[in-house]
Amino acid sequence: MFIDPKNITMDVLNLATLMPMLIAIGGGLVILTIDLIKENIHKSLYVMLTILILFVDLGATLGLNFGPNEKGFFDVMLIDGLAILSQVLILVASVLFIPLALTSKRFHEYSYPEFFALFLFMIAGFQFMVSSDNLILIFIGLETASLSLYTLIAMHNRHNSFEAAVKYFTMGALAAGFFTMGSAVLYGISGSLELYQIAPAIQSRMGEPGMMMFLLGGAGLLLTAFAFKLSLFPFHTWAPDVYEGASAPLAGYMSVVPKIAAFVVSMRIFEMFIDLQIEWVQTMIIILSVLTMTLANLMALVQEDVKRMLAYSSISHAGFVMVAIALATEKANIGIFLYYGLFMFTNLGAFAMLWVSRHKHRVHHARYDHPYEKFSGMVKIMPMGAIVMGLFMLSLAGVPPFSVFWGKVYLMSATIDAGYTWLAIIMGLNSAIAAYYYLKLVVYMFLKEPTEQVTKETTYYNVSKPLLTILGLAVFVTVGSIFYVDPLIEYITEMIRATNFGI
Amino acid sequence: MDYILSILIFFPAIAGILGFVVDKGSAKAYGVSVAAIELLLALGLWASFDTTNPGMQFTEFSPIISQFGISYNVGVDGISLFIVIMAALITLLGIILLRDDTKNMKNMIVSLLFLEMTMVGVFLSLDAIIFYMFWELSLVPMLYIIGAWGGPDRVYAAVKFFLYTFAGSLIMLVGLLAMAYLFHLESGIWSFNLLDWYTLKLTTNQQFWLFLAFFSGFAIKVPMFPFHTWLPWAHGQAPTIGSVILAAVLLKMGTYGFVRFSLPILPDASVTFTPFIMALSLIMVIYTAMVAFAQKDMKQVIAYSSVSHMGIIMIGVFAMNAEGLGGSIFLMLSHGIVSGALFMLVGVIYERTGTKIMDEFGGLAAVMPVYATVFGVMLMASVGLPLTIGFVGEFLVLLGFYKVSAIGTILAGTTIIIGSVYMLALFKKSFFGPVRHEKNLGLKDLDRRELTALLPLVAIVVWLGVYPKPILEPIDNSVKALLVQMENHAQLESTKEAIIVSKKEVK
Repeated sequence: MFIDPKNITMDVLNLATLMPMLIAIGGGLVILTIDLIKENIHKSLYVMLTILILFVDLGATLGLNFGPNEKGFFDVMLIDGLAILSQVLILVASVLFIPLALTSKRFHEYSYPEFFALFLFMIAGFQFMVSSDNLILIFIGLETASLSLYTLIAMHNRHNSFEAAVKYFTMGALAAGFFTMGSAVLYGISGSLELYQIAPAIQSRMGEPGMMMFLLGGAGLLLTAFAFKLSLFPFHTWAPDVYEGASAPLAGYMSVVPKIAAFVVSMRIFEMFIDLQIEWVQTMIIILSVLTMTLANLMALVQEDVKRMLAYSSISHAGFVMVAIALATEKANIGIFLYYGLFMFTNLGAFAMLWVSRHKHRVHHARYDHPYEKFSGMVKIMPMGAIVMGLFMLSLAGVPPFSVFWGKVYLMSATIDAGYTWLAIIMGLNSAIAAYYYLKLVVYMFLKEPTEQVTKETTYYNVSKPLLTILGLAVFVTVGSIFYVDPLIEYITEMIRATNFGI
Repeated sequence: MDYILSILIFFPAIAGILGFVVDKGSAKAYGVSVAAIELLLALGLWASFDTTNPGMQFTEFSPIISQFGISYNVGVDGISLFIVIMAALITLLGIILLRDDTKNMKNMIVSLLFLEMTMVGVFLSLDAIIFYMFWELSLVPMLYIIGAWGGPDRVYAAVKFFLYTFAGSLIMLVGLLAMAYLFHLESGIWSFNLLDWYTLKLTTNQQFWLFLAFFSGFAIKVPMFPFHTWLPWAHGQAPTIGSVILAAVLLKMGTYGFVRFSLPILPDASVTFTPFIMALSLIMVIYTAMVAFAQKDMKQVIAYSSVSHMGIIMIGVFAMNAEGLGGSIFLMLSHGIVSGALFMLVGVIYERTGTKIMDEFGGLAAVMPVYATVFGVMLMASVGLPLTIGFVGEFLVLLGFYKVSAIGTILAGTTIIIGSVYMLALFKKSFFGPVRHEKNLGLKDLDRRELTALLPLVAIVVWLGVYPKPILEPIDNSVKALLVQMENHAQLESTKEAIIVSKKEVK
């Protein structure tokens, strides 16, 4: 189904599909231009400008025609429900993230307009990644986004930030290598880079001898690549260090947005394999997800730093959601987005609380920025802060009726529907293990006496009105989830049904 | 009063939120007023409750997550009505008993009010997910109460309590989700409505696994032997108010869960598991009673005796006849009143002397005669002396159990004997003989605050011991309805036998 080069019309090109990404890229360029014209502009202008650009981007995304076969730009863009849905989630998370730059204390990275430009380029990259089923465009999107993200991490300008960026970069390069090799194998089998053409090609050649070897290579390499990106066991080792090195809001952002993008691509690729009845792909994903959630949970138990604990907890949550990819049912796919849609607010909120308490110097611990001791007796010093953080922790632990609970229930229910009751029990038990380390923070905040270093000055160090606004929003969404889960599920269902992946 | 149940559930929660604004000094008065209004509302519910109607009353239904069949669905019947009233009463008296110099009084009141919401919510919910929500939420304020006001090992005890119950209930959640899926397979719609689930006929194999899943949630809460190890820790470290509410109300959630979920939804599995549950319960009754006798700490004696009595309740629930089931529901109430009062009494002496070790006391009857009298009454009720509230429930349970197993009844009956042994030993050591310590001579008797909290309980113990009919009748109606439902619902003939035999003999 290649387009005849002589008959390309604007209709076929459907350039509107590129609008959202172009807005983000154009916005980034505008920010750079403003810096050229006038120097030393306060960061608040860039923040607000970025938010506005993101809103325009969101509007353009929502305005797109979408459908299972809505293609554009030489048929490499695919604007199905999945693409719209994930872009909306990515943009909402970004809008939540960027005001966290407006702290009361000055941090290095935000004084550069390049930060905001790179941020917008990164979003454009993610948007390309989710709205295509062409492996090359996915790769370009992935790399654009990742390279920008590495730089954003390094801009935090501390030793461990550089370490984190380099570590992430190396791992990311490895993942990119795996991705290209995997894609090459698929191209070798099917002669196409478009997933919708690869699927029938593989199906027609399934019976051929040696085919399974190629598929093992292709699927295995791709799975490895995404296991790196999603920080699945045993490719998760970079995550805690990177999260620790990055600034707290960026770490929270990394635990949500890149994962949503990677999950979307995983859905497109691996659910294709699963729909082709290649069972070992499913088995492998299930094994990976069980190992990821269990081992990450066990690692989180022994962490002394809250940020590292949250890093491991994010890994564990990703493992939890990865189960849905293996199930490949409609309900499971809805569950992925419901889970991340709810988890996003809570997790960003939790990281924002760390950001509020971020001090320029490590006053509590020689090695860590956010040791548990920092939060001991917090309820006596800043009761609202402690209650808010406690709510986030309970939500992450899956205590009803807070937001993450509904995602958990939905995914567990999808698992049971697919006939994997034992897997649902493992998921349940993992939630119980996870409760321990979330509870540990609650115990520190509510049941211990404050140490000498814990004062209003050190725990409220970085607070500002914009941070409080974002926190308030996150709390509102976390607590009131019971009232909007229904329309959310309805919207996600509608979007998921308007997609085209698998066969 | 169409929405009385919602008011009952959410009134304490709203009051709890508003309570943040109330001045520290007035926090206790605020708590007492709110709890009193809640109790009045609960009594109002009883007044307008139709005692002849065995079904659900005052039901409210509004879908919350219709895509997934979750709805806000509440209702009350004879089984839950009195537990709710008891929960409201105990909360009120517990708050009255709080010392004025309790640190962080406001936080305590707010947590108690939230706890009250979750307790009332659990007993009134008819939707499995809403039930689960309140069930899990009840852990949070309790964690705080134990962890913030408890003894030296309070954090360990609080976390143990939380994790133990949380782990069990997550397995239960898998069971609930599986149940909803089976309902979906059968009917094509998603529903977590209990009344819908009551109509679902499941194969024995499905029932078997679902029963195990539910069991892991409920049994830890009861707590059944051998899952009871968290309870002595929690009681040992909890402040008086924590122990009172834990023993009086929170434990009842477990047995209530068996009555509301396991029996009617899974009748065949319930009958299959009866010998297993009976064995565990008998071990629980006898073993923990013996352990209670070995304790030196007064509070631990009462904690273990409380586990022992929960065993009797479990026996009654699984006797599967009107006497046993009705008796065990009555016993839930009487156990709530009596163990609540006993924990209050231990708290009273602990506040005065700073110790709970029985050997430290001695001769208290002479020093504190009123205290000794109240303690004596509660102790008799706990042992199950006729004309006290404890006798009615225990007698009915044993009567019901006799129809199932005579030998078992004899074994279970030993609880009355061992119970009186350790209780009387406790009484003798603490209240009679010479006063062991000089400073105990100057102990003050019960003051007005303590009498206000305790005398209503004494009155109830005697009143319901002499004339339990107003409560037994509605319970009996609903219990019979439940048994009929179980019987109609059962798949196996043997199950029908197990239930029907005793139903015919009901007077």
